[in-house]
Amino acid sequence: MKLLNGEILSNEKYSDNLYKMEIFSPYICKDAQAGQFINVKCSPEGVLDPLLRRPFSIFDIEKKFNVFSILYWVKGKGTKFMSGLEKGDMLDFAGPMGNGIDLNGDENNILLVGGGIGIAPLYLIAKLAGGMKKNVFFAAGFKDNSYLRWEKDLIELKINYAVLTEDGSWGEKGLVSDYIWNNIKSFKNYDIYCCGPRDMLKTLQNIYKDKNNKVTALLEEKMACGIGVCAGCVVKLKKGKKGFSYKKVCKDGPAFNLEEVIFD
Amino acid sequence: MTKQDSLFSYETDTGRNGFSLSVRLGRIKLDNPVIACSGTFAYGLEYSQFYNTAILGAVTTKSYSLKPIEGNPPPRICETASGMLNSIGLQNDGIDIFIKKYLHEAEKLGIKIILSIFGQDPEEFRKVASRAADIKERIIAVELNLSCPNVKKGGMAFSAMPDEVEKIVSSTVSILNIPVIAKLSPNHQNLVEAAMAAKKGGAEALSVINTVVGMAVDIETFRPRLGNVLGGLSGPAVKPIALAKVYSLTREKILPVIGMGGIFSWQDALEFLVAGASAVGIGTANFIQYDVGKKIIEGLGNYLKEKKIYDINDVIGRLRA
Repeated sequence: MKLLNGEILSNEKYSDNLYKMEIFSPYICKDAQAGQFINVKCSPEGVLDPLLRRPFSIFDIEKKFNVFSILYWVKGKGTKFMSGLEKGDMLDFAGPMGNGIDLNGDENNILLVGGGIGIAPLYLIAKLAGGMKKNVFFAAGFKDNSYLRWEKDLIELKINYAVLTEDGSWGEKGLVSDYIWNNIKSFKNYDIYCCGPRDMLKTLQNIYKDKNNKVTALLEEKMACGIGVCAGCVVKLKKGKKGFSYKKVCKDGPAFNLEEVIFD
Repeated sequence: MTKQDSLFSYETDTGRNGFSLSVRLGRIKLDNPVIACSGTFAYGLEYSQFYNTAILGAVTTKSYSLKPIEGNPPPRICETASGMLNSIGLQNDGIDIFIKKYLHEAEKLGIKIILSIFGQDPEEFRKVASRAADIKERIIAVELNLSCPNVKKGGMAFSAMPDEVEKIVSSTVSILNIPVIAKLSPNHQNLVEAAMAAKKGGAEALSVINTVVGMAVDIETFRPRLGNVLGGLSGPAVKPIALAKVYSLTREKILPVIGMGGIFSWQDALEFLVAGASAVGIGTANFIQYDVGKKIIEGLGNYLKEKKIYDINDVIGRLRA
């Protein structure tokens, strides 16, 4: 993990609020694994508002070109600042952070379940699993068609996928969790990675409660340091039969066994 | 030390090179006045990926209690204008785990350790202090986190009650026999009284300020943005408050003060020194600029050279007010 300055090669607007930023960084491309994230300073040099760095999952890595990318949704001051950065600007970030995902021990069938911006860390998992000749299926759910442009990235992976939108403006109409429930039999021998809103994760936890699938959730929480010092980004995990303990998303995660997560 | 870091060793060597950053707070002698604040640096391991943390004047550890504490329910962090609220709830593994597991790792890094401790009542403070007494040769001081709630007194913070401050300080001083620093809260009117009580109890120095009580509300859900409702505000937003507290305390010449609150640069650090602080604590800045401690030491060293000030002590408390 290092503090880095990377040149922005593109900051493409996918829709009103969705952007994909490509950054040149041999260090990240050499070391980073799927599931890891970078921590971005979202204000100009010397400016301290917004104050805290913002974590972003690594969306894609193109090792050959030393370029990685992040996919982000403009939500507040920090991401608004990022959306204004241009090709040639430098991005102040640190990384790679968090634990990577090791697909080696996994089943030959991998199911990715993403909701909204939760698709961001899953994309690289899908790409790497595809590269390992695993059978990969990506189920992605959105409110509307604002992520439509992302389908172009997805097509490049040459994997099977399903898109669902709540308003039916793109793909099937409905929730991605309902889609999984309706197709539960076809995903019987799959290892599952999911990332998205709490309600989606909660529903998936119920769906897979008494199934044998290995279900891994990539979680997000507000972070201050991102390196395991402040204990700000904790999530509640089951401990023993009735107990719980707090684990840090940044250092212990961001991937956790979904079964162990307690959603209060 | 790496080659780059060794550049700064001259600052501690007044005899040869003339420029000195070393400061003294009672019996506590520091190579430079830059200290990492409790709760923002763990015990140094994570930051050692970014620079040699042994160059810091000292590192104050996370605050340890007698038994492990799970801390407050999330969310624990909320950003505000140029600041952040936290309600971590003093999550820690307990003093015994620190002694068994972490102390050795901090020592391997060459860090000068100030151990931060707290208790929910005076008795717990005494018990943690007795554990700390077993390792007193391995640490340079103990900092008492007096901003935590006193369970026996209805949850009121210890530092709000000067009598309690004196009691806790004097009992830990008698157990420890090494310098004791009292960390005080800015949230009460009687800061000077609390400081005098700490002095009476035998404290060597004061850490000022801890976080300022604050909150934030989510107007979509009408819920507080912190799981604990109230939290502690830190970062640049609190710097003027911290400076004023440091100034008003050091004017009273009660005890040497480690000034802290929103320091992000060497210029910020210098403001605290000029206002009267004998050393400075770097807290929230560590979360954003992981090598900020090193940058501040470098900046202060360069400032002395540029201004041809041979001793950092010549700027301490030199406010022209």
